[in-house]
Order: sequence, then C-alpha cells, then structure tokens
Amino acid sequence: MKLRHALSQAIYIDQEDGTVLVEDPNLGEGVFRINGEWIRGKLRDADPHMLLFVGGPKLAKPNHSRTSSPNPKARCLPLGSNSNAPGSRSHMELGLEGKRVLITAASRGIGQATAQCFADHGCSVALCARGEKQLEIASQNLKERGVQVFSQSLDVSNGDALKNFISEAGEALGGLDVYVANASAGAGPGEEAWQANFDIDVMGAVRGVEASLPFLADSETASVVFIGSTAAVEFLGAPQAYNAMKAALIAHASDLSQSLAPRGIRVNVVSPGPVFFEGGNWEMIKQTMPQVYERALAQCAIGRMGTPDEVARTVVFLASPAASLITGANLVADGGFTKRTSF
Amino acid sequence: MDFENMNPVKNPKESRSNGLSYQQLLDTDSREVPDVLRMQSSRDLPFVRVPIDRYTSQAFHDLEFEKIWKKVWQFACREEQIPEVGDHQIYDIGKLSILIVRGQDAIIRAFHNTCLHRGRALKDRPGRSLQLQCPFHGWTWNLDGSLKQIPCRWDFDHVKNEKTSLTEIKVGTWGGFVFINPDPNAEAFEDYIGDLPSHFERWPLEERYIAAHVGRIMECNWKVAQEGFMEAYHVASTHPQMLSAIGDANSQYDAWDHFSRAITANMTPSPHLRKKPSEQEQLDAMMGVSLDGKPSMTVPEQRTARQTLGQLSRMQLQGLVPSVQDLSDAELSDSIYYTLFPNFHPWGAYNRITYRFRPLGNSPNQSLMEVFYLAPFRGKRPDPHPFQLLNAHASWTEAPQLGSLAKVFDQDTLNMAAVQKGLHAAGHQEVTFSQYQETKIRHFHSLLDQYVKS
Ligand code: FES
Ligand SMILES: [Fe+2]
Repeated sequence: MKLRHALSQAIYIDQEDGTVLVEDPNLGEGVFRINGEWIRGKLRDADPHMLLFVGGPKLAKPNHSRTSSPNPKARCLPLGSNSNAPGSRSHMELGLEGKRVLITAASRGIGQATAQCFADHGCSVALCARGEKQLEIASQNLKERGVQVFSQSLDVSNGDALKNFISEAGEALGGLDVYVANASAGAGPGEEAWQANFDIDVMGAVRGVEASLPFLADSETASVVFIGSTAAVEFLGAPQAYNAMKAALIAHASDLSQSLAPRGIRVNVVSPGPVFFEGGNWEMIKQTMPQVYERALAQCAIGRMGTPDEVARTVVFLASPAASLITGANLVADGGFTKRTSF
Repeated sequence: MDFENMNPVKNPKESRSNGLSYQQLLDTDSREVPDVLRMQSSRDLPFVRVPIDRYTSQAFHDLEFEKIWKKVWQFACREEQIPEVGDHQIYDIGKLSILIVRGQDAIIRAFHNTCLHRGRALKDRPGRSLQLQCPFHGWTWNLDGSLKQIPCRWDFDHVKNEKTSLTEIKVGTWGGFVFINPDPNAEAFEDYIGDLPSHFERWPLEERYIAAHVGRIMECNWKVAQEGFMEAYHVASTHPQMLSAIGDANSQYDAWDHFSRAITANMTPSPHLRKKPSEQEQLDAMMGVSLDGKPSMTVPEQRTARQTLGQLSRMQLQGLVPSVQDLSDAELSDSIYYTLFPNFHPWGAYNRITYRFRPLGNSPNQSLMEVFYLAPFRGKRPDPHPFQLLNAHASWTEAPQLGSLAKVFDQDTLNMAAVQKGLHAAGHQEVTFSQYQETKIRHFHSLLDQYVKS
C-alpha cells in the first residue's frame, strides 16, 4: 500500500519486510517500524497514524461477503457473491477462512488458479513448483491477497524433497487442513512417460498424503483432493500412460476415502476435461494440431473448453467444509466433454 | 413533526471554518434534501473546559455510577437478539447486571440478574430458556418474573410467593433497540429520547439487522473513547489519508435535549488542503485506493465524485430500501452521527454504524467500545452476526466483518490509551474543548454535569 499524507504530502509505502518507507518532499526519506521506531534514513519522525494504517496488520478477508466493501475487480469469489446482496444469508459459506492448504505445482494453470481461489477465501497456502521464477511470481501474487504463503521450488518426483517440503510447510502454517495433489507429468509417448506419470501423478499423490497425514489428522475439517482427468474415464484419442495413471489415482483416492474416513479425512478427485489457458497444453495443441483442437472443442457440450478458474472453484468447493458429506467421489468438471452416464 | 419550533438558524455567525458550509453543500445535491438535514440547532452550551479528574479519578467514576448508570435510559440490546419466547440477553454496566427477557406474552422485560435466594447471578450468558432457574439451588421464576418454584418449599415457609418476584427494571424500545433504566422513578422513555425518533423517520433502524457486532477493550476512560467519535476535528491529524474526500472542518454540529448530532460530508475535499484534489482523486481516497493501485471506479465526465458515489450507493441499496432513487447524495455519502446521552451513538441514513461505549468493571481506566453494523435486508430477517470481543491489544482488522473501516478504527484506537496516559500525567487541571467542532462533547458534559449534581 502506498498513500499520501494529505497535509505533509509525504508518501508512505509499506515494504516486504514489514517496515514503512516514508518519502517526505521537504525532509527526505526514512524507514520506520509501524510502532514509529526509526530504522534508517534522513527523516527521523513519521506520523504514527499513517505508519499504522499503511504498514499495520493486513485486512483479513471478510468471511461474510455481505460485510465486504464493493470490489468490482474480477476475483475468484463465490458465485453470485455481492457485497450488498439482500438475504445473503442464503449464500453457502464454504467455511474456509483461516484454513491451511498445500498444493503442488501451483505456479501456473489449474494449480495457480486453485491456490488463488483458496487465498481469496482466506486460506493460507503452501505451494511448490519446479520453475523458481514462476513460483516466485505466483507466491507474490498470493501474498498480495493478504494471506500467509509458504513456497519451495522442487521436483515432485523426488519423494524425499516432497516429504520435506510438506512437513516444513505444515510447521510454517501451523498445520494443514487441505492437501491438493495437482502435479502431473502430462501426457507423452513411450516408456519414459509411464515412469514419469507414475513418479509424479501417482506417487506425488501417494507420498503427499503420507507426509501430510500427521497434520490432516489434527484438523477439524481435513480433506484431500487429487486432480484426475477425464482421460481416465473415457477413451481419448490414443492409449497413453497419462490416462492409465490417472485411473490409478482415482482408484487410490477411492481406497483412501474409505480408510481415512474414520479419522475425519475426506478424499476426492476432480477430473477436468480440456482446460484452455495461455501457455497451457490446449493452446499448444491449437497451434500445432488445429484439427485435434477443433475436434475436442466440438465435443464440449457447452461449446467451449474450461478455464483454470472453473476447475479451481470445483476443487475449492470439494476441499471445503461445505462439502462435508462428499468423500470418495470423482467429480468430473468438463462442460459435457465426456458423454457417458455416471451412475 | 414540526421543525419550525426548533429555531433553525440559517446563518450562525459563530466560529466556522472557511469553505463551503454543510448547508451550502446540500444546495448542490442532485436530489431534494430531507428537512432533517436542513435543521440547525441553536443552543448555548456551557463548558469549554472540564476538570481532568472526570476521566481519571475513582471518586468521579463512582459518582458516575450512582448518578448516571443507575439513573439514565441506556441501550441494553437489540430486539432481534431476543426474537423468541424465553430468549434473554445480559447487559452489564459497572456493578449492575441486567437480564433482558422475552416473555410468554412476547413482552420484553428486564430484571436485576440476581437470584432472590442467596444472590447468585441468575444467568451467566445469553441464551433461550422457558424459565429462569438459578444454577445454585434451583430457585425458579417464570419469564414474567413471578416465582415458579423453590426446591424443598417446606423449608421456606417465611418466603411468600407474591413477594418473591424478580425485581423488575423499566424497559423502553425504539428503532429495534431495547433500552433499560435501573431507576424505578425514571422519567418515561419517550420523554427522555424526545424528538430523536422523528430524526430517524426516513431511516428506520428497526428495519435493519446486525451485520457485524464487534467489541474491543480500551485502556482508557469510556468518555475518552467515545469522545474520539464525536467530532471530525481529529480527522486531519489522525486520519490524514482521508482528507481528499472528507469535509472535516466544514462539519455541522447540533445539540438538542438529550441528544446531539454531527454531520460530516464525505466526497468533498477538506478545507485543510492547499490543492483541491480532482474528482477522481476524491473517489480514490474514499475507496481506499493506493497511490500505485488502479482506481476501482472512474468518475464519469460532467459528474462529481459525490454524485458518482451517490449513484453507486443507490444501485447497491436498490431493492433493500424503498424509493432509493429519491435518496439525496447527502444521505448516501455523509457521516451523520447522533449521540443519545450518555453513550449511545446511532448513525443516520445508510452508514450502518452504531457505537456504544461503557466503563468496564469498576475502573475509570478501562472501557468497552462496541461497533454494530446495522444493515438493511430484504425478505426474512437474517440472524444477527455473532458478537466478537477483541482484547486491549488487538487490531480491529482481526474482525474481518468490519471491512475496510477496521484500519480507520485502529488509527482512532492508537490515541486512546495515550490520552489516558497523558491525562494521568497532566501538570494542569482541565481539558479544553473547541467552540464549535466539539459541540457534541460540550453538550455531553453539560448533561453529565447536570446528572452528577442532581
Ligand atoms: S442463590 Fe439462587 S437458588 Fe440459591
Ligand atoms: Fe476517527
């Protein structure tokens, strides 16, 4: 936040490290703690009210949309949320305020959108990804939403690294309520793909649950969500490791849902159909294999592919206490891409 | 009601700031302004100085308890907090504890929260029960206060049923608020609040629900806390980020019998500013937009920030408030803050705020400040938002239901304990008030004076 003191014309800027930089047009610059303590700079004295306002505790996100101030910026808020909506009590509360969420591969696409959506509902978020730069941008983005963020760059196929990250994240956030296994090796040909999908898609989920279990067991509202794929439930063009490994994941989620239910932990899968976003697979396919893209598009009953936000909302709902009765489900979010009837 | 009898003063020639007066600003409104905002009181108030020990001494604190809290009508709870038969709330003030109960006949009654056997507090917390049973030995009363049963009745031959009703306390209601008065000889509630209800005719507070209710313990005298919310004089120094969009020094202050009022225009620049901010800057300041942030709304050409905010608020209130298109820009933008002696601060129009301040326990140095947001609703009345109590070191931002105002409350709170410290450390005897901008505080102290000397 950056505000002008209307009388002195000094600019107050809150900084990463929790201090406030004050730039006074007449007296120079100074850096202060919000209690008014001077740290450095020529300027030695600042307005305590401004320091507190600019650098003080961040505004927590209201857990009741009816008390929030109007914010027309498009953000991932519950559908139909409106600051002054009459009778807004009929709105479903997700009950996520203050929950602690860990999500793998959250620096782009579905993972990033999901992390943001959790943050927008007042959750602190731990995230990992391979690329350091993209991860840094994604965590900065989350921090701006005023929640606690813990991030680490790592390769999910490295089991020890993943487990370490999870226990450190659990310590840093003071526990975990939600684990989302999102990392995937993606679809590819050949035997390496079988290994990669096994290591990342399947074992990332298996090890992730193992490592987060001690934290989840302590949570009042623990839940796990695996990101599956419609490729596991309906034939998609060619036999691929990706499809079979996602199927394994769905089967494992179903088993876990039974074994962990007595400990109050829900386990579900969200299986997205084609999701289109900049830099995503389908954008690449659109450019390189336009016929494949057109065919897939034609198959989407709603006439378009999904967006990361739409999948994110599905994950966030399933993970939230609002979905307290749902466990062992594979929730397909695909805009009618698959045609089977799921009984 | 007849506003003519109020002696409206058109051009008071007292101390006033430069710049547009509030009445002149009303002339620029895009709608017709209601009479109640056109009213100006004329009243000479005594006291531009009061002794510091009013805020610091135990003796004065005790005197207040005897002469004020035991004698005046005071806001105890909202009717919506006790909607059903048997619902009860507890209102504690100093040593007194008062139980407010909804009876079988739906009538609201108040009793001393004290068992007539050996004196245990009857209820420890608000709740719902169809009888009032003391947890100690089980003496039980009906909701109307009549004795229902005494365990081992044979052992209390000397206790007569008809003489063992709970001690009732007077109750009055207005605007969805329940008031009590511990003094059995108190004047009628209607006489006490006087014309206040007529001021709120256009903004019926009974048709609101508690959208937020947050309390915070303040390390200062209750009057220090509440006086921080009775003037706009402190805005320039305490909330300097707001000056682009607040006509602080052009506020209007009025005082009537037991109540007073201030109106501070928002979406108009402060006369303190040397350079007039653009309409967009005013809107940004109001919306709390950071200097490097993107404006969340733009002021259309040919429009002022005030009109733009007015239009936005009309859109938001559409369907919640009847004839919303007729509401003036003033009613949609400005802070219209009333005070009913001694400690009740309902805001006019659609600003939603109501404050209450009271001493905490038996100390002149500690108080409880409460913020209620009373929001309009459509259809079935929503349940009141649960009460959240913050400790003396908490930030108001810990109550997200307060929204962006929490940071402004933090700025106000930063002064409170420091005032109490300064008052105790004073080398002089009196605090002093301004002639005009601290009208509400002077009005309060003139009433306080009357009561403690009665
Ligand atoms: S003190 Fe209440 S029943 Fe004995
Ligand atoms: Fe203030």
